[in-house]
Amino acid sequence: MSIIKSLLKMRKKKEYPVQIEEAAVAGPDLKSMNLEQLKEKVKAEFGSTVDLSMDELKTEGKDALLIYLTTMIDTKLLKETILQSISGKEDGFKLTTEDDLKSLCKGKFGGAGYQLIGSFDEIITSLLYGNIIILFKDMEKALSLSMAIGEDRSITEPSTQTVIRGPKDGFVESINTNVSLLRRRIKNRNLRFEKFIIGSETNTFVYIGYMEGTANEKIVGEVRKRLGQIKVNAIFESGNIEELIADKSATPFPLALNTERPDAVASNLLEGKIAILVDGTPFVLVVPAVLVDFFSIAEDYYQNFMMGSFLRIIRYLSFMIALITPSLYVGILTFHHELLPTPLLLGIIAQREGVPFPAVIEVLLMEVTFEILREAGVRMPRAVGQTVSIVGALVIGQAAAEAGIISNIMVIIVAIPAIANFVSPTYSFAAAARLLRFLLIIVSAFLGLYGVLIVLVFIVAHLSSLRSFGVPYLSPVAPFLIEQQKDVFFRFPIWSMRKRPAYLKTQNPEKFPKTGSPSPPPMKGDQSN
Amino acid sequence: MKKCGVMSAILLAAILLAGCWDQRELGEITVVTGMAVDKGENDKYILTVEGINATELNNRTASGFAPSIVYSAEGNSLAELTYRVNEGMSRHLIYSHMRTLIIGEELAKEGIIDFIDFLERNREIRDDFNILIAREAKGSDVLKVTYQFQKSTSLKLHTQLDTMMKDWGGDPGVRMNDVITAWTAPGRQPVMAAVRIKGDPEAGASSENMMKVTPDALVVLDSLAIFKGDKLEGFLTLEDSRNYLWIQNKIVKTSITAECSENKYMGLRVYDTRTKIKGKLENGKARIKIMIRAEAYIDGTHCNDQFDKAKTYEENGEIAQKQINDMVTKTIEKVQKEYGTDIFGFGEVVLRQDYQNFKKVRNNWDEKFADADIQVDTTLIIRRTGIRTKSFLKEVK
Repeated sequence: MSIIKSLLKMRKKKEYPVQIEEAAVAGPDLKSMNLEQLKEKVKAEFGSTVDLSMDELKTEGKDALLIYLTTMIDTKLLKETILQSISGKEDGFKLTTEDDLKSLCKGKFGGAGYQLIGSFDEIITSLLYGNIIILFKDMEKALSLSMAIGEDRSITEPSTQTVIRGPKDGFVESINTNVSLLRRRIKNRNLRFEKFIIGSETNTFVYIGYMEGTANEKIVGEVRKRLGQIKVNAIFESGNIEELIADKSATPFPLALNTERPDAVASNLLEGKIAILVDGTPFVLVVPAVLVDFFSIAEDYYQNFMMGSFLRIIRYLSFMIALITPSLYVGILTFHHELLPTPLLLGIIAQREGVPFPAVIEVLLMEVTFEILREAGVRMPRAVGQTVSIVGALVIGQAAAEAGIISNIMVIIVAIPAIANFVSPTYSFAAAARLLRFLLIIVSAFLGLYGVLIVLVFIVAHLSSLRSFGVPYLSPVAPFLIEQQKDVFFRFPIWSMRKRPAYLKTQNPEKFPKTGSPSPPPMKGDQSN
Repeated sequence: MKKCGVMSAILLAAILLAGCWDQRELGEITVVTGMAVDKGENDKYILTVEGINATELNNRTASGFAPSIVYSAEGNSLAELTYRVNEGMSRHLIYSHMRTLIIGEELAKEGIIDFIDFLERNREIRDDFNILIAREAKGSDVLKVTYQFQKSTSLKLHTQLDTMMKDWGGDPGVRMNDVITAWTAPGRQPVMAAVRIKGDPEAGASSENMMKVTPDALVVLDSLAIFKGDKLEGFLTLEDSRNYLWIQNKIVKTSITAECSENKYMGLRVYDTRTKIKGKLENGKARIKIMIRAEAYIDGTHCNDQFDKAKTYEENGEIAQKQINDMVTKTIEKVQKEYGTDIFGFGEVVLRQDYQNFKKVRNNWDEKFADADIQVDTTLIIRRTGIRTKSFLKEVK
């Protein structure tokens, strides 16, 4: 207890200064060193790493030094374009002053994203981002040219959130590709992306994206502030960011929506939400997230609104099934026999005849077995996949029932919530039901349905205490906003959903002018029109 | 943090200490579906319970053993006896699924109100089970008779009475709460369905009985038991039982037979019927008016009337409605003359419609009932004639 206490205290004590993006780094001036010294210094910085390349070359009649990390740049591009253009002789041109260098760059690399940098630390950083550095003798500034190469995965269908109807492209690991996927969907000058570099050792690029003039400035400011406060050494996945910027970490419920689908992020941006893209992962965060976001998916809007509404209700229902079925089984079978119709009760008794364990042990046994199988299914090497599924089906199914360890009905009680759990469109949200299920089972074993009810009340109380970037987690249901119910339990026709979510307090609450329902053209002879 | 610790300690204690007190695993219980109470030999009562052997009721697990076990214990209070039956039965008995209570005729004649209090008070036992009288038999014998489909008598009777009531109306549809309501309400006396064992009770108490096409013993719905207070007064026939339901406006569907011409009959299926009762006291004499409105279709006829004319419908309807009128009137007269106990709840009707006068006769209402002036007025409309209009009988004869 006291350890946690002191840990909590420690966290409170630290006051992080707001980090300014790409803070100007001071370092030794380039002017004070000659090329040889610089070469030595770069070598000293990187040590004996194999991919550091330093070539001397002579250009424009001047000695120069070309430095790059061979693994980070496109060597073909380097050879073909840069070296050709830079070592080409031009009569009467002397590279002596900084202005000369500038004009050279303008002439040769105008539009290619060159940079003139003056400090040693900047050189190191540039190298790490995949730039090449050309140092000229007796010059104050070095030329830095971006030539980064990333072996990118091509855009494929998202593996987690698949749809039947809808775009099949998903985000990839490269942040620039991801931004372009969003830009291609929202061709609008108000779409802004801001860059952060987070992780003192990994220096990971993190972008936030939002619609200027739509998104609530206060929430955007809050996102900036929280990202700025992050002081960890490494960021590898948006999950790291999610945990570091959440309003509360002691909760099983995710406080940021994560998705692999560009269309989902795009539509959320237009609602007034903010996207957080992290380099190196296809999962993009969307904040603020409310509970109902985890029950709606992009496909709801691509198909008939009745079907969309129906599927949404199925999703809410599945969540409840996944959450409470095993605990209801335990509660009813050990405390409330009178709740079941007589034939069903007699049927269950007949099946459980000879089962050696109490109902709760039986349920826990099977639930844990299932969780193990599920985890094994995700982690196992693809080659042994079939073995696991065959053994798994046998263990969880017929064999256990036939051996008399569990009753037949138990297989159903484990299987139904397991399948229902997979309905949840967001994996991290389904995990909440997975965890809370065990709590419910245990309490139900002691207190029966009364206990189930108590835990459910606690869960609702907890949910209503949660905030995501200041937005109540249960909005628009609690606090109840009547005009926002068009996109909660049902999905109304698109022409009627004109308002952006009021709980976001967007700058521009209306999406489009009132048009009314589409209708056929007036008939011939119809006087009314 | 300290607060959190205390809170979680309290919560844990609440769950761990308060929980589990009424927990019972399915393997530790036997479900009781039927109960019979008879007059005891030495003590007041003999309680018989039927505990279900669930394995035998399930077709996949059944192996031909007896579907249930019936055990009796004798004592002076049912409350004690319900637990004492464990002297002969191994598992904890749960009574929440009890479907049928059978009372022996002998005991019913002496009065039953004493033990009904237990049934109503107990937290486990529901108040909507069927309550029956075993006519000319012991309740315990009725419970022992096996049957092919539901296998145990109590489950069989529950289904049987329900079906009977919906299709024809022989069962008064009386559950325990109806009996208690009848006792507590002024101007109504309770009724119960009565069953009888047809055949040899000894032979009925074995699983061989289930294997026969014509079982050695069968529990049949026999009659309507009528009460005065908590004492059994006598029995009415099944037809009376149906007429009772008709007066109570409880008929769902029924069939009647009417004489359409001499020694020729027609069957009518009554599928929609409403009954309204008006009652008042005039000069100390009760006047009850029963208005029955029924819709029916012809379900078979011996007469070769041709149903393509509206007049034929009207004529046949009149015959049928007279038939109903006579039946219902006869039943009421029988109860008035022979028993003088108001099982129809006419007193309740008068109480609602003529309270000032009812107050005066409240305590001797049954006497007023016995010489009440009762008028039955039936309207029956024939709506359809099945899937045939003209009968083929005309062409044959």
